[in-house]
Parts: sequence; structure tokens; C-alpha cells
Amino acid sequence: MDVNGAPSDAEIVARVLGGDREAFGFVIRRYETGLLRFATRMLGSRDAAADAVAEGLVRAYRHLASCREPARLRTWLYRIVTNRCKSHLARRSVGDVPLDEAPPLADPADGEAALERAEQLALVRRALTGLSPDKREAFVLKHVEGLSYEEMAAITGERIPTLKMRVHRAREALLKVLEEDT
Amino acid sequence: MNTIDARIHQVLDGELPIDALPAELRHRMQVVRGAADLLAVPVPGPSLESRIMAEVRRPAPSFMRRMASWFATPHAVTFRVRPVWSVAFAAAVAVFTVFFARDAGPQLGEHEGIAQFVGRFPNARSVHVVGTFNDWRPGTIALQDLDHDGVWTATVVLPTGTYEYMFVVDGERWVPDHLADRLVADDFGRENSVVIVRPVHR
Repeated sequence: MDVNGAPSDAEIVARVLGGDREAFGFVIRRYETGLLRFATRMLGSRDAAADAVAEGLVRAYRHLASCREPARLRTWLYRIVTNRCKSHLARRSVGDVPLDEAPPLADPADGEAALERAEQLALVRRALTGLSPDKREAFVLKHVEGLSYEEMAAITGERIPTLKMRVHRAREALLKVLEEDT
Repeated sequence: MNTIDARIHQVLDGELPIDALPAELRHRMQVVRGAADLLAVPVPGPSLESRIMAEVRRPAPSFMRRMASWFATPHAVTFRVRPVWSVAFAAAVAVFTVFFARDAGPQLGEHEGIAQFVGRFPNARSVHVVGTFNDWRPGTIALQDLDHDGVWTATVVLPTGTYEYMFVVDGERWVPDHLADRLVADDFGRENSVVIVRPVHR
């Protein structure tokens, strides 16, 4: 139990494994936002991301007993969803994200700042799209999801120097595109 | 490659305080950080909880059904090979090829042998071999120069025997093979090359 009275990940896992499957709702509510954001950035489509996350969380529920470190549930869930995203990308003829799915347009009533922000987001999304899946994954895990390199290594199975190199390359590629377009 | 000053990476990796970054480098760091902040905004849309919990409440599929589903679904397969194992594998294949696979090849009849034709024609566009084995018909046996070094070769299986032949260069120039086993005069005052095809003993 944390300071807010919410059960810890280890407690939730124990409850679900003890037969309280409704307790899995805590897992969904706790991690859905981050997983959906990660998958959307990887796949470029909210619908495809929703499929990947839903498949991943159902899979996580069914194999919860194999989660060796319930206290690190977050890392385990990201690993499952990362693999679902890779499977989705492998089903496409090329490994990049679709360009035709534009982000939601800002309502002009929201003001010029919101419009500008939406344009910036579209630009950044396009730049992210240009990265290889490996670099995109590394950048999003590091800078969007705020994970440490140790957590990223646990999720991807890659070595920390490899991940650092990918993040560095991703930053350089993104900066190149963003500086050219602004 | 648009390289970034190493100190920007260090700040973004949390290894260096931002104060340590010169003012002229801060803008580039802020561009990267700003992009990340934009991407970190939650993706709007309905919650997946009801969809996932509906699956959670459904009885798990049987083992056979899961297996069928697994085989029917595409999976990403990643091979990661250490260079040392690649070299070892290549060496093993080479050893196998040398000691075990050298007998592999076309299955020749008792009265068949292999004839190899080699000629040096540096500027040729095409080279064919004609002779008594193909009734002197050009265009049936082409020589190849795969590495473009001007040396054209062809290896063909022929019935055992002695044959006269010539090369036809670029479809019009008939020249004998001076490296042949021997040369003989033909009825037109020219020389034909001679090749003797012997049976291959196994």
C-alpha cells in the first residue's frame, strides 16, 4: 500500500494470482495511459496502439504467474507491449509508421497557442516517423516515458551502451529534421 | 550526420547539470527536450479497461486453440549473431563443403564428361562456343565473364569424344582457341581447336 492508500504492484499481482481477477483493473488504470502513449508513438496510430496495448495487457493477465518480480510490474508490462508493437510493425510491409494519420487538429477556438502546439506536435511526430523502429523505441522509452537505461535494458533485452548509442543517434536525427523545418 | 555536442547528451542523460551547459548549446538541448515534452502528452481517447476486462473475464482459450492462434499469427523473429559465431559457422560450412560436398554436382552418365572452355576477350560483348558438338550453331552455348576481367568461361557436359570447336566473339568474329589440346586445319583453310571429352570416373 502506498502513501495514497493505493495497493502496490506486488499486492495487486498477489490478489490477481489469488483469484481476484477484478483487481487487474488497477493494473489497467495505472499503466494504460503510458502504455498507450508509448505504443501510439511507436506505431503512429492510436487504433493500432490500442490493439497492441489491449493484446499486451490480456497476455500479461494470462501469464501473470510468470512475472518474476511483481515489484517491477511496469517494466514487465512495457516489455510485453514493446513486443506487441514489434509484431504489429512486422506485419506491415515496411517497418515504419503510417504518415496518413494526422494528429487531432486543434480547435481554432482554443487559441493561437493551441494551434501552434498542434502544428509542433505534427512536426515532431513526422520527425519521429523518420527514425528506424529501434531508434524510435529507444527515444520514446527514454524521453517520453522517462525510463532509466537500466529499465530500458530490461524491457528491450539490449545492452545499455547499445541503447545509449540509439538514443544519441535518435536525438541527432530528430534535431536535424526539426532544425531544418523551423 | 548532424552531431550534437557531447555535453548536450550528458545533460539529457542526467549526467551533467544544465548549468554546466554553455548558453549557446542550450537552445539545441531545449529543442530535443521540447520535442519529448510534446510527445509525452497523453493520447486522448476512450479507456481500454472495459475491453481488456471483458477478455480477462472470459475463460482462457484451450491450449490447442492458443497453439492454432499462435501458428496463424505473424511473429517478429530477431536473429542476433555474434561475429565470432558467424566466422565459426562459415568455417564449418567451408570444411563440410571441402570434405563432404565436393562430390556433389551434376550426375553424369557413364559416357559423359565435362568440357571447360576458357578464352580471353577483354573488349567482347558476348562470346559463344560452336563446334561439332552443336553442329556449329552460334548462340547455343554462351561463355560468361561474371567479374568483367575479360576472361570468358563456360562449363558444359558433353558425350565423351573428340570435338572441333571455335569461339564466336560478338556474334560475328570466329576465332580458334589457341590454348586448346591441339589445332587442326578445317576445309576452309582455317584452324579449328580440338577438345577431348573423357568420362568422369567416380
